Amino acid sequence: MSEETANSYWKSLEECTADSEFLETASREFTEPIAVDPHGPSRRDFLALTGFALAGLTVAGCTPAPERQALPFVTQPEEIVPGRSLHYASTCQECSAGCGMLVKCRDGRPIKLEGNPEHAMSRGGLCAVGQASVLGLYDRLRVQRPLKDGRESTWREVDDDIRTQLDEIRRHGGAVRVLSGTILSPTLRDQIRRFLSRFADARHVVHDPLSASAILTAHERTHGIRLLPHYRLERAEVVVGFDADFLGTWISPVEFARAYQEGRSLDGNPPRCSWHAQFEGRLSVTGAKADERLRVLPGEMGILSHLASRLARRAGVSWDAPGLEDASIPGSVLDRVADRLWQARGRGLVLCGSQDVDQQLVCNFVNHLLGNYGATIDLEKPSLQKQGNDAEVERLVQELKDGRVAALLVLDSNPVYTLPGVQELTAALQRVPLLIDCSERFDETAAVAKYVCPRPHALASWNDAEPIRGLFSLAQPTFAPLGHERTILESLATWSGGGRSARQLIQEFWQANIFPQQTRENQFQRFWDQAVHDGVIETSIHEELPRSFAMDQIRPVIRSERPAEASFALALYPKVGLLDGRHAYNPWLQELPDPITKVAWDNYVCLSPTAANRLGIREGDVVRVEVGGASVELPAYLQPGQHDQLLAIPLGYGSKLSERFGNIGPNWLEARLTLNENGQVGINAAPLLILAGNSLQYQRLSARLTRTGRSHPLASTQTHQSISVPAHLAPAGEARRPMIQETTVAGLARGHRPEHPEPQADLWPNDHPVTGHRWGMVIDLNACNGCSACVVGCQVENNVPVVGKDEVRRQREMHWLRIDRYYSEEGRTSGDVDVAFQPMLCQHCGNAPCETVCPVLATVHSSEGLNQQVYNRCVGTRYCANNCPYKVRRFNWFAYSRDDALQNLVLNPDVTVRSRGVMEKCSFCIQRIQEAKLESRRLGLPLADGAVQTACQQSCPARAIHFGDLNDPNTEVSRLVRDGRRYQVLAELNAQPAVNYLKLVRNRPEGEVRGHG
Amino acid sequence: MRNRVMRSRLTTLFLLVGLAFTVPMLLSRLGGYHLPGNQQGYEPKQPLASSHRLHAGDLQISCLYCHGAAEKGRHAGFPASSLCMNCHKSVTAPLGAVRAEDELAKQENSPVKQIVSPELTKLYDSLGLDEKLQRDPKKTPASIPWIRVHNLPAFACFDHRAHVHAGVSCQHCHGPVETMETIRQVERLSMGWCVNCHRDVNQKGVHGKPVRASLDCAACHY
Repeated sequence: MSEETANSYWKSLEECTADSEFLETASREFTEPIAVDPHGPSRRDFLALTGFALAGLTVAGCTPAPERQALPFVTQPEEIVPGRSLHYASTCQECSAGCGMLVKCRDGRPIKLEGNPEHAMSRGGLCAVGQASVLGLYDRLRVQRPLKDGRESTWREVDDDIRTQLDEIRRHGGAVRVLSGTILSPTLRDQIRRFLSRFADARHVVHDPLSASAILTAHERTHGIRLLPHYRLERAEVVVGFDADFLGTWISPVEFARAYQEGRSLDGNPPRCSWHAQFEGRLSVTGAKADERLRVLPGEMGILSHLASRLARRAGVSWDAPGLEDASIPGSVLDRVADRLWQARGRGLVLCGSQDVDQQLVCNFVNHLLGNYGATIDLEKPSLQKQGNDAEVERLVQELKDGRVAALLVLDSNPVYTLPGVQELTAALQRVPLLIDCSERFDETAAVAKYVCPRPHALASWNDAEPIRGLFSLAQPTFAPLGHERTILESLATWSGGGRSARQLIQEFWQANIFPQQTRENQFQRFWDQAVHDGVIETSIHEELPRSFAMDQIRPVIRSERPAEASFALALYPKVGLLDGRHAYNPWLQELPDPITKVAWDNYVCLSPTAANRLGIREGDVVRVEVGGASVELPAYLQPGQHDQLLAIPLGYGSKLSERFGNIGPNWLEARLTLNENGQVGINAAPLLILAGNSLQYQRLSARLTRTGRSHPLASTQTHQSISVPAHLAPAGEARRPMIQETTVAGLARGHRPEHPEPQADLWPNDHPVTGHRWGMVIDLNACNGCSACVVGCQVENNVPVVGKDEVRRQREMHWLRIDRYYSEEGRTSGDVDVAFQPMLCQHCGNAPCETVCPVLATVHSSEGLNQQVYNRCVGTRYCANNCPYKVRRFNWFAYSRDDALQNLVLNPDVTVRSRGVMEKCSFCIQRIQEAKLESRRLGLPLADGAVQTACQQSCPARAIHFGDLNDPNTEVSRLVRDGRRYQVLAELNAQPAVNYLKLVRNRPEGEVRGHG
Repeated sequence: MRNRVMRSRLTTLFLLVGLAFTVPMLLSRLGGYHLPGNQQGYEPKQPLASSHRLHAGDLQISCLYCHGAAEKGRHAGFPASSLCMNCHKSVTAPLGAVRAEDELAKQENSPVKQIVSPELTKLYDSLGLDEKLQRDPKKTPASIPWIRVHNLPAFACFDHRAHVHAGVSCQHCHGPVETMETIRQVERLSMGWCVNCHRDVNQKGVHGKPVRASLDCAACHY
């Protein structure tokens, strides 16, 4: 084993402590006992029944197949060829990041969303949420007609009512408010402005459930303009994050993940790799990637002031911070961080995710001292991805409570769910004379609204977006709305008196405002056609900025609020899959295991194992968290690496949208419900938020934790498909195999090349040489940040079913691609952990252990090195899954429900829907390989490198996955396989996997490398 | 006693008569017996009696004229009603019927009426056209519900494009379509039948042209 290799990674606490129950389960051949009933039918009965059934089936099988109709078009559309896909450029609208995407349409219906490689911001990446959103288009439970007082109505009636009441309000000068999330669409912003201009007292309030309002306020004070800067992580050589989960959920994670990866590309010598320190309390995806992770409590962010005073001293700026309390972090560490930042002036970046304006002011000061503005922080072309103003939201809530609002239009926002104080807010909203809710689904706010004006799915309407100043993108409809929805643009235009279509409105706006800002085309129609085709255009529009920096605004944050010894601080945070909860309707996202906790279908209270031990809490024990009068009861989850005095609760659960999952999963005798006692998935933690002091606070400084005595088993996948071998079964010293290998930048620079395992004596004669293509994959563990976009991408592409919470608990999740998350404590201070992510999928072994045990030859090798799974041959012995050392095979325990004919429209027609009793696994997207091969043959061209992109590879925001032909020495994968960082998981088994991994690289001094030997 | 003999004789007679009826029926069926899933000989009645013998045989229209997707993608596709109209906006009835009408008009010295055959009326209906081939607002355009004859199970992915470009003739799998009034499944379309052909052409080539026909399971099953 290489010197640089760590061999001390573990997946779960049970594994780390060698829990006897875990070892017992992991060593068993089948995870569940196989039911054999001694009083059941005898072997003779069984044979008789089988014989009868066989005869019966033969007779039944001889009848002609049922008639199958083929319905051709009446008039053939020019571009549609049956069985071929078309891609349309569009814009993702599932969060406020506004990434570019391509919509793959088959026979006129969207079936897959992928990143748009030509989009300057997202550059081909698309996150899990974006990719899963296609399912929402085929959702039967969308609101399809306008509702009046909860009953279905017509647009004519609703429009007449609304117009009459608005006219009335205008005459009396009543207050009109529009409440929305961040609106990226410049046309819609303009339309709202026009709509409100007709009223004397009108305001547009922007409420981001995941707010960054404090950053905007801080820049208003220091730079005189309220904006969110555009952080250029790709230019940063030193990144210091304070509670900013920029790779997971913060502002624009797809863009940041790519940019961060670019800064750590390891190109050249010395290898290019930024240094990243993260100060945080809970363990975030971003913290997991950090070179130096420092655990601090939310109230201890005075650390930033310590850093500022050190930097001010170096810069020779007098900045007094009297009474600055001692930091909980050793001064030497802070000195080191300050040194790094100071040496990388203009090439560093300090990011702060706090919602405390004072913190953000200090953060601005630090970046100003370091000369990062104009270098790694772009103010000229700022980000428009968070426009929320919490002070305005607070003011609106007060106005609502005082009954001073005559009309409230809620556009695609769900304040009843995302704001604290549900009861008061609901009561206040019920008193609003005219409450209009424009949303897709019947959510908490729609339930109190007088009028619900449904908007179509983003894939069924025109829209535009400006995520970064000057970067405009378009969204075009690829499907007709299924019901009678109307876009918000059209609704507002109708109520303002001009009834035009969304396309007309957008076209007019673009002609007047965007077309003049570019020089590429001089005819509008050609400009428009090009913009629709490309999906995105860049213009020269930018902000004019004052060059001054208002020093007098900066006050050091001196307080260091730590909770009392026995109590906790509380952090509420969004999860990668569910964000603010508006996607809670989506079963793919509900079943997506969280990258860190690996729990699906529930939220929980994370607390550190130390704290849990002290209180005698076990995982799954239901605990009550009380903070300032509000409380929630949730199961506990033991999170290594979390601060010992912190509780962390994910937001986005307990939503009305999740009430639909009553019947999800197979229906059988021992099935248990996916929903909790409240009839929902998880519990909403928003009541624990606080909207005060001009910002929406996600962190509370003092929370009380008590046990309830109940327990609730979590659907956690972290102990599932464990590759490790229990000690009593393993050869000496091999109980924990080095799944994760890592090195340091210094090690790489020295040209330290790891030893590849010696080729071992081979049982198999090499009698099946692969001469044509040999498909292989390279996964860069240094790039992977666990974001799970690949998991959802694979699920959509390959028709992977959803199984529900109970089945996940039984280790029967069906994901072909999982991301194993490993922890290691070695070399860390007590309680802290290192984290590594490893996407694990079928390794398409050259000497595949699964193939030798299949009694019916249902899994065999192809001439191109693929390990094929033939569903129609499989009889479901599960031998292959048991013999697979990587545990990547999935068994269909049930015929998972495909009853919803509408939802079935999302199925990929190129991939068989597997039936009960059949084994399945990653196929390296064989349907894409076949399509590319046949197409190249049709065109008479050789198959180019990159012509086949697997679903997981295509949308990976960090470009961690590479796929191609290993037999061709000039392909990207062949080049990467020659990289010194390459290794294979479990290479010692000599299964000769076709999937190669590139070692994780940490930017640490070599002395700190752990796990020698 | 006698009664009992009579009764058993009657029963025997009854059974023998029954047997005499059923055996020929079963025997005649035996020729058509095939394994489950094998639909060889399947010839359903189509909603519109369009004749491949006439179009592909007598008129020598290329298969790809109507099933053009076969060279571009997985499915061969069925022609859209609009495609039929390329010819049938002028050809509205069989030649014989048109000539007869011409004769009749000449004899009666009356203007020639446009005749629309009952089968083509179905085509015009599908496009929402009246007998003068004008758009009839009362009619809703609707696809012609053709019955699929060549059905493969869902777990087998056949791609027409690869075969057309390799030079395999349509008749090789679909039989002598140009002689069929209604389409009939001629070949077995079983896996063994496919694989045997793939093995053969790897040896002999298609019309002498060497080809690489895959024998991997995943060439069709995914």
